[in-house]
Amino acid sequence: MIGDYKGEVKYKVVTALLQAYHDILDYDGMKSILKEAEMLHLKNIRDEDQNRYLDFFSFKKIIAAQNCLLYDSSMLLFEIGKKFSFYLFPYGKNFEEIISEINSIIITDWKVEIIKKDQDLIVVLVQKCIFCSEIGVPCDMFKGFLVHSLEKSLPSEYRITHFGDKKDLNDPNHNTFILKLKMEKKY
Amino acid sequence: MTDKKIIMKLALLGDPAVGKTSLINRYTEEGFKENYQPTLGVNIVMKKLKIEEYEIQLAIWDIAGQDKYDLTRKMFFEGCVGSLLVYDITRPATFDRIQSKWLEDFRKFARSDGVYILIGNKVDLKESHTVSTEKGQSLAEEIQTSDFIETSAKFGNNVEIAFRRLVAQALSNFGINIKFN
Repeated sequence: MIGDYKGEVKYKVVTALLQAYHDILDYDGMKSILKEAEMLHLKNIRDEDQNRYLDFFSFKKIIAAQNCLLYDSSMLLFEIGKKFSFYLFPYGKNFEEIISEINSIIITDWKVEIIKKDQDLIVVLVQKCIFCSEIGVPCDMFKGFLVHSLEKSLPSEYRITHFGDKKDLNDPNHNTFILKLKMEKKY
Repeated sequence: MTDKKIIMKLALLGDPAVGKTSLINRYTEEGFKENYQPTLGVNIVMKKLKIEEYEIQLAIWDIAGQDKYDLTRKMFFEGCVGSLLVYDITRPATFDRIQSKWLEDFRKFARSDGVYILIGNKVDLKESHTVSTEKGQSLAEEIQTSDFIETSAKFGNNVEIAFRRLVAQALSNFGINIKFN
């Protein structure tokens, strides 16, 4: 990991992320990521006060470990992102509120914003995405998070398809991207 | 000259308790635990190798063998370039499932050019050796794997060589031909 990782992250974000790992990779998968990140002491963070903050550098170590161990595992990352959304906002929420809240509970040099909203299309701009800042790592995880967050805010007959520009993963700026979310009726 | 970096995802596949975790522990930490604890989901370990001018990072996936993971397991195979197919030489049922289950899953869900090696583990249990070496060799030919190796995770016999050969074969798919000592 290279860089200056300033900021902080609410405990509830870490808890939701670990629960997502646990759901998709089970207990040993979650432990593998924490062990690689040298953050095994956080495995019971759900028992702590969720309004406390973790320093961003520690959080980033977890994400870097995730991206290293789950190299070439796009499907899993996407599913982890969906579960992350599920556990972070268990009761669902308006999509705009989710976007606003994710910026406020992960406080660092990044930004997520809705730049366009039509009846059947929402365009999201993610700047300096913290989940895919390493070179060579696609941002399937945060895409999964956004897709699920929007899906849950809509009536059940809607499904979301996502698309956006193809980014060169070797470009250090690939973590700034636009994601288009298309809302379609299933039937 | 700067080193060339390669990341490879490898998997160990086989029935529960054939010794997948022990093989990885032996290879990465040079240790062995007597007490058996089933893997829950997947255990992933990184191992760095330096071969010639290549800096290789192995992401080794120790995938749980229990049937309850059948649905999620297929996602674990994504991007996998090589596998050790492991059976226990003292339990014929684990040998029978190599072809009918583990190889079939690997071919279906891993990379189409993925390579695999057949491993008969627990050769230290000589008195209970019920799957003969000849049967292992015969299966290796049938499933067209280039290698069949009998190992002991407990004492370390052939463990290093099994991983090294798998890495060498996977690297050949990247167009890199290396020779291990």
